[in-house]
Amino acid sequence: MEYFAGLRELNMGSLIFRLVLAMCTGGLIGLERGRKRRPAGFRTYMLVSLGAAMTILLGQYESVMLSTRWTAVVDAIGQRTDISRIGAQVINGIGFLGAGTILVTGRQQVTGLTTAAGLWASACVGLAVGAGFYEAVFLAFGLIFVCMRILPFIENILIENGRFINVYMEFEAVEQMGSILHWIKEQDMQILEIDVERARGAQTSYPNAVLSLRLNHKQQHTQVLAALADLDGVCKMDEI
Amino acid sequence: MLSIFDGLREVTLASVMVRLFLAVLCGGLIGLEREYKRRPAGFRTHILICLGAAMTTMTSQYLYLNLHFYTDMTRMGAQVVAGIGFIGAGTIIVTGRQRVKGLTTAAGLWAAAIAGLALGGGFYEGGLCVTVFVLAAELVFSRLEYWLLEKSPEINLYLEYSSRETIDRVLDLCHERGVKALHMEIARHTSGDKHNACAIFTLRLHKKCKIEMLLPVVAAADGVVSVKEL
Repeated sequence: MEYFAGLRELNMGSLIFRLVLAMCTGGLIGLERGRKRRPAGFRTYMLVSLGAAMTILLGQYESVMLSTRWTAVVDAIGQRTDISRIGAQVINGIGFLGAGTILVTGRQQVTGLTTAAGLWASACVGLAVGAGFYEAVFLAFGLIFVCMRILPFIENILIENGRFINVYMEFEAVEQMGSILHWIKEQDMQILEIDVERARGAQTSYPNAVLSLRLNHKQQHTQVLAALADLDGVCKMDEI
Repeated sequence: MLSIFDGLREVTLASVMVRLFLAVLCGGLIGLEREYKRRPAGFRTHILICLGAAMTTMTSQYLYLNLHFYTDMTRMGAQVVAGIGFIGAGTIIVTGRQRVKGLTTAAGLWAAAIAGLALGGGFYEGGLCVTVFVLAAELVFSRLEYWLLEKSPEINLYLEYSSRETIDRVLDLCHERGVKALHMEIARHTSGDKHNACAIFTLRLHKKCKIEMLLPVVAAADGVVSVKEL
């Protein structure tokens, strides 16, 4: 706690230190997303974190001014400023920004959720940086980084070895659905859920279906997909 | 805090002029870089946002400090933070290929609004520092980002092939080299005798297996018509 003693107050040194720290933490969190070719690269994270730190700093500045230069006014009419009010809106505002990264594809697949959540988390770290709450910043940053860096491996292992598989398919005609479903049942797979959509104009020129399957014995997902793609009448195939 | 700004901490005609002028300048600088890169939110957008944000904090200070209303000085400024989040979300677009674009522009616009808030509130040091750092992020780090993208271990491979066995063979080739197929998408012609299909794989490479080594092996496999990195 004593290490940062000089940086707790609001002065030129702590201002620059906090802004740089906000950029570093935001940037490092973003680095992991950028490596995966996700839309929000590390510049986005940097800017969001920087802005968030600044809002809290601005609140602190106003409270410093109220207790030094503007004391006469405060004494006369009373103080009603809340230093966390501007910062509080960051939580809201970045929620909106994150919503822009979430998209529902034509295949009933939702993507961009992790990007949105990461953006929001880095904004929250930025708030703590701006407040000078360095201990929490380093801890939270470490945890978020681990979460972004190491947990994907666990997630991948779970998905790869999991028995559940979601498949998006396009066929030439709805009538072919029957034979495909028949084939799937023969393959020792269970159909948990099925969602068929007929062709409707320019958007989807073929009828399509989203299948949730459960493999009764362990199989490589890519093998299953390749086999499914080979069936008569299937023209498009994608794991979602 | 720097003492040169001490004369401008109160809301006076001189400080109002300085604050608004600085807001235009800082917003303009951030916008100039975006305009140069031909992004949707350019020069004027950033100036307007930055200026507007500066007006809000300044007005609420005026209400409290000069008109002596019993009000919260930060209330109006706080709404800017959420409001510009909305405008920023509008710059984000989803292209036909399910890609998200314009996120950095949105974040930059939002940061410009925050710089405007600080300048309007008379926190000159903060506003100027933020502007400098935003510019640094846009100018210096964009290069680093492109460099990192090139080094990304995940690649998309586009493959045209003629028979079902080919895809198994290609997957085996990848498997032997320890390359993981993370995602796979297949599209094919169903009419005609030939299998004629294309597949898009997302592969994760590792240090020992570079794309330069994988491509020729895959291209040489039986039944592969063409292979390309996307």
